[in-house]
Amino acid sequence: MVKLTIFEVMKSKTLQITLIYVILSLIMALVCHSLLTAYFSKPEYLYLFLLKDILFISCTGLIFKRILSKNENKNITIFEKLKDTNEEIKESNEKYDIVAKATSDTIWDWKIQEDSINWNKGIETIFGYNQLEVGKTSKWWFDKIHPEDSIRMSIKLYSFIEQKTEKWQDQYRFKCADGTYKYVLDRGFLLKDDNGRAIRMIGAIQDITKQKEEEQRLKLLETVITQSKDSILITEANSASLKIPKIVYVNPAFSQMSGYLSNEIIGKSPNIFKGPKSDSEELKKLLKAIKNEEECLIETITYTKNKEEYWVRFSMIPIFNAEGAITHWISIQRDITDEKKLEIEKEHLIRELTQNNKDLKQFSYITSHNLRAPLSNLIGLLNLIEDIPIENEELEEILAGFNKSTHLLNETINDLVKVIIIKDNPSMQKEEVSLQEVFENVFSQLSFQIELHKPIIKLKFDRVPLLTTNKAYIESILLNLLTNSIKYKSENRKLKISITAEQIDNKAVLTFKDNGIGIDLERNRDKIFGLYQRFHNYPDSKGLGLYLVKSQVETMGGTIIIDSEVNKGTTFTITFKN
Amino acid sequence: MLEQILCIDDDPITLMLCKKVIAKSEFSKEVITAQNGEEALHHFNNLKYTNNNKAKTSKKPELIFLDLNMPVMGGWEFLDHFTSPDYTEFNNANVIVLSSTIDPDDLAKAKKYPIIIDFLSKPITQPMLEYLKKKINV
Repeated sequence: MVKLTIFEVMKSKTLQITLIYVILSLIMALVCHSLLTAYFSKPEYLYLFLLKDILFISCTGLIFKRILSKNENKNITIFEKLKDTNEEIKESNEKYDIVAKATSDTIWDWKIQEDSINWNKGIETIFGYNQLEVGKTSKWWFDKIHPEDSIRMSIKLYSFIEQKTEKWQDQYRFKCADGTYKYVLDRGFLLKDDNGRAIRMIGAIQDITKQKEEEQRLKLLETVITQSKDSILITEANSASLKIPKIVYVNPAFSQMSGYLSNEIIGKSPNIFKGPKSDSEELKKLLKAIKNEEECLIETITYTKNKEEYWVRFSMIPIFNAEGAITHWISIQRDITDEKKLEIEKEHLIRELTQNNKDLKQFSYITSHNLRAPLSNLIGLLNLIEDIPIENEELEEILAGFNKSTHLLNETINDLVKVIIIKDNPSMQKEEVSLQEVFENVFSQLSFQIELHKPIIKLKFDRVPLLTTNKAYIESILLNLLTNSIKYKSENRKLKISITAEQIDNKAVLTFKDNGIGIDLERNRDKIFGLYQRFHNYPDSKGLGLYLVKSQVETMGGTIIIDSEVNKGTTFTITFKN
Repeated sequence: MLEQILCIDDDPITLMLCKKVIAKSEFSKEVITAQNGEEALHHFNNLKYTNNNKAKTSKKPELIFLDLNMPVMGGWEFLDHFTSPDYTEFNNANVIVLSSTIDPDDLAKAKKYPIIIDFLSKPITQPMLEYLKKKINV
């Protein structure tokens, strides 16, 4: 029994104290009893006293314990309560810290009566003010508000503090430490005393500069749509039953073009622009593209609200979201009626010109045929006369003149025919031609004249051994130039001709130089390559050679320039793409 | 020397020239002429008719000099008829186009007719006939 009580005593301090008191009192009682019994001799009373003491001590001990334990219970509940409150405060503080850290907002706490304002770290991290710079009064705050915003802002704020308005939030520009302004959204609430008077206001400033800038950027981008001269419309992603999806937006240019106002057309399918003259093939193409979710561009006649037709170039561009699903279609449309008109006019003109050209060509063929036919008879007949002996001298002379004139006429006509054929043949065949070979051919054709005048001819082709060109033309060009050089050589000096070919970038440059009598370019520059232009009164000069040369060079996509000085010589520079 | 050749041309002077030059070069014994395609076809029709009725067959041209631009029926139309099955017995003759044309289309067209063995420019000359002699092995 005693052992058990001791265990219990250990458990509770109240019990412990009570027990110590009881034991000490008991020991006292026993010691007193022993002393008393030693000095007094009536033990029967003494036992009675002892019993009484023990009883008294036990009773007081019990009472003592009860009081103590009651007291302790009270203490425990108070303590528990305190602990709970403490924990709550701690938790709340932690929460606040987390929120303060997590939020990018700048939080301020304004004790209105004392006009003392407290800022959290945001004032430093976001606006760049260090703790020393931050003022302690609301004046500092108001001073930092952009002058254009401050009046409006303070009116709203004070009407809130005076509780004329329920809520307070405002956007204004707040000055940073570096002097720039940030757009902020400020939201706050009031703390009131028992009388309902505002004593404290706590607010959070959010930096919305980015949003504002984005908003302004979007506004700017939006002007592209609203101010564009091209019609822009946006439709839904999908359509029912093979139609162009419903319109969700049209820009003002569209209304201008089609006559439909925004509210008249939204929710309808662009199919309503279709009309009797619309190109159904083009519309099929468009519907197919919509089905396949592909970009598409068509041109068709379409109709305004008043059923007036106009040509439109119409594009549909699918817009996809991040998941790759189609969300909208954007359509850009342009009235191309004028363009189409011009195009049709142009086509008409080209057709007319082509026909005219064809007619003229045919005319030149027929004319040349009709000239050549009797001329060939004349030549044939003259050929026959050659074999007949003629006794009459005068007749012989007449026939000789007749013969010469006929052949001259024939040459002229043949040259003209050449011109016609060159002009008619813009896509003549080109091949790899060896310049050396070309010159051999040309020299052999002119062997008689070369033998007669023995010119000094210098050739330098090693840089451009091969030329991609038309063989017949290049031969004709060089033949004409060489013939000219021989024909118009100076009588005072030996004829020297130098011909060089050079490759410059992707061009072959052929230089043909002689020391002949030259041409007065001052007077004749414009006429030099003209048809039937003659600069020297030579009997066999027809004024055709250089005209042919130029025509042939240009037909092959080349250019020719001349440099000449009277009595010094002439240089032709021919450039071909090679 | 060829036995007979046919010259088709609307120009009598060309025909006269042909006859004289051919005679001179001893190119053919006989030269017959027609003023246009239709006349030439008429000649062939007559030949066909007489050959069918008589035991003895008449001569048929071995070579034809053909002009292109002629009234009534031009050279191309003539060739289209002449190369048809109606003229099978005659169209083994060679045709030489003898023309003053410079139209490149004519030259290109001539290449499409296998019956045309050459395309020559007027006037007919003795060297031309010498060249043809070699070409057709006369």
